[in-house]
Amino acid sequence: MHGESGKQSLRGALKEDVPGFNFDNYARNASLPTETTMHLPSAMKTGTTIAGVTFKDGVVLGADTRATGGTEVADKNCEKIHYLAPNIYCCGAGTAADTEKTTEMISSQLDLLRLSTGSPSRVVTACTMLKRMLFRYQGHVSAALVLGGVDSSGAHLYQIYPHGSTDKNPYVTMGSGSLAAMSVFETGFKEDMTEAEAIELVKEAILAGIYNDLGSGSNVDLTIIRRNGEVTVLRGYLTPNDVEPLRTSYKRPAALSVPAGATAVLSTHMDPARPGLEGLVIEDATAMTF
Amino acid sequence: MTTHMKAQQSVPVPSIWSTEGAARLGSGATVTTSHDDGSIDHGVTQAPYERRFSPYDFNGGTCLAIAGKDFAVVAGDTRLSTGYEILSRNVPKLCKLTSKTVLASAGCLTDVRTLQQVLDMRLRMYEHDNGKEISTPAVAQLLGNTLYYRRFFPYYAFNVLAGVDDEGKGCVFSYDAVGSHERVEYSASGSGQAFVIPVMDNIVGFKNRQDPKPEYTAADIVAICKDAFLTAGERDIYTGDAVTISVITAAGVTTETFELKRD
Repeated sequence: MHGESGKQSLRGALKEDVPGFNFDNYARNASLPTETTMHLPSAMKTGTTIAGVTFKDGVVLGADTRATGGTEVADKNCEKIHYLAPNIYCCGAGTAADTEKTTEMISSQLDLLRLSTGSPSRVVTACTMLKRMLFRYQGHVSAALVLGGVDSSGAHLYQIYPHGSTDKNPYVTMGSGSLAAMSVFETGFKEDMTEAEAIELVKEAILAGIYNDLGSGSNVDLTIIRRNGEVTVLRGYLTPNDVEPLRTSYKRPAALSVPAGATAVLSTHMDPARPGLEGLVIEDATAMTF
Repeated sequence: MTTHMKAQQSVPVPSIWSTEGAARLGSGATVTTSHDDGSIDHGVTQAPYERRFSPYDFNGGTCLAIAGKDFAVVAGDTRLSTGYEILSRNVPKLCKLTSKTVLASAGCLTDVRTLQQVLDMRLRMYEHDNGKEISTPAVAQLLGNTLYYRRFFPYYAFNVLAGVDDEGKGCVFSYDAVGSHERVEYSASGSGQAFVIPVMDNIVGFKNRQDPKPEYTAADIVAICKDAFLTAGERDIYTGDAVTISVITAAGVTTETFELKRD
């Protein structure tokens, strides 16, 4: 069926009702590394330790801030706690683009639903929307999520897997550092904790992931969602991995600071964007209007 | 329910230098249809297939060495890892072979240790046969030969050899997995190699620079090494914890340890 659609006109292939992913290029992509010297780019994954815990007055979500592409750190301070609704936030592990776009999409859908119902969003609604989308993509959208929030029926915490299954628990962890974080939770979790206790527990869980999992690192981000509706976003709650103190601990040789003019400029060529543009002179600062 | 899979790093086959360009050893050996992250498919989304046992594991780490006028500096981080896990934060990669030569190796720890043992035996035999301690360039040749013995089942060891030669000048040799070696001014190997070599090209090799190159002291080079490892530690997940730096002169070998980030 797909093979035939490739032979149809371009208009036919772009029909709106063709669902899911287009796998036309799958065979070509699979043969590229073996038959040519080309390498497919690797998707940026977030490695990751994400965790959430319910306490007496709400939920606390936590995440590390390292994004990896293979074994290289692509982003040392990325944001993994995504906004879904004023009372609902979602941590994402897996492919960075997938978690970002999935949460953005569901955030839009929740916004539209709030407009049409006139009521605040419920956490279970976000969970259902996410799981339906992820199941539809059969696990190809690699997003493992920790969803937490507070609504009219209380504080809720869910974990959502890439294939679309969900679990509802008082404490959850996901990502490559989930085992390290879960060991902290299993040791330290108790029902009806205070906010300070919950923050401390999540902080320790994320730190366990940061130091013991190579896919996680850098800083601890926290978000606290309380039953009374207050939300506190603590981006960079803890930054124990700043490299500056280490760099200043020894005397750097002067040659490490490259002076201006060290690199030879062999030739300079200026290409104006349009012929005649090099003659353009701005006489005053009046703003142009169109 | 699929539990979130901890990604197993697929181990790259050791690369061999070649005059024609990138040559790869035995890349046709395995016939697996595994996922990109190396996880095992249990016949759920794909047909059953045979999974090949790989004798190699990559334990990570970065080594570098820089030759000075009458000294050589060699450094290696101390983190031992496998997949996404840390096995130890304190396994140094440096191995003192003679009073004037130090070998630093990253790769598969078991192959590195065995290689060091085999080298140690052959060095002692040299001393018995020749009645004197072996010189650094001779060790370099010996290491190259030892690696080539295992041409068709290589030691998974990425070596960097440093020392002072008989004239008292600093020398550094870099190797591929099967013994091709070359005397160079500086070299790096291991997982953080790609982050460290460009820095050294600019600061030590002084490539693409018009300003006058200063004469570096051993202390300067040690500081450059610390900087390079902090840089590699920022961007390579396998480099970190601590780095041991050895300075080799005609008088002997001194070692210091410098703490890196542990995340």
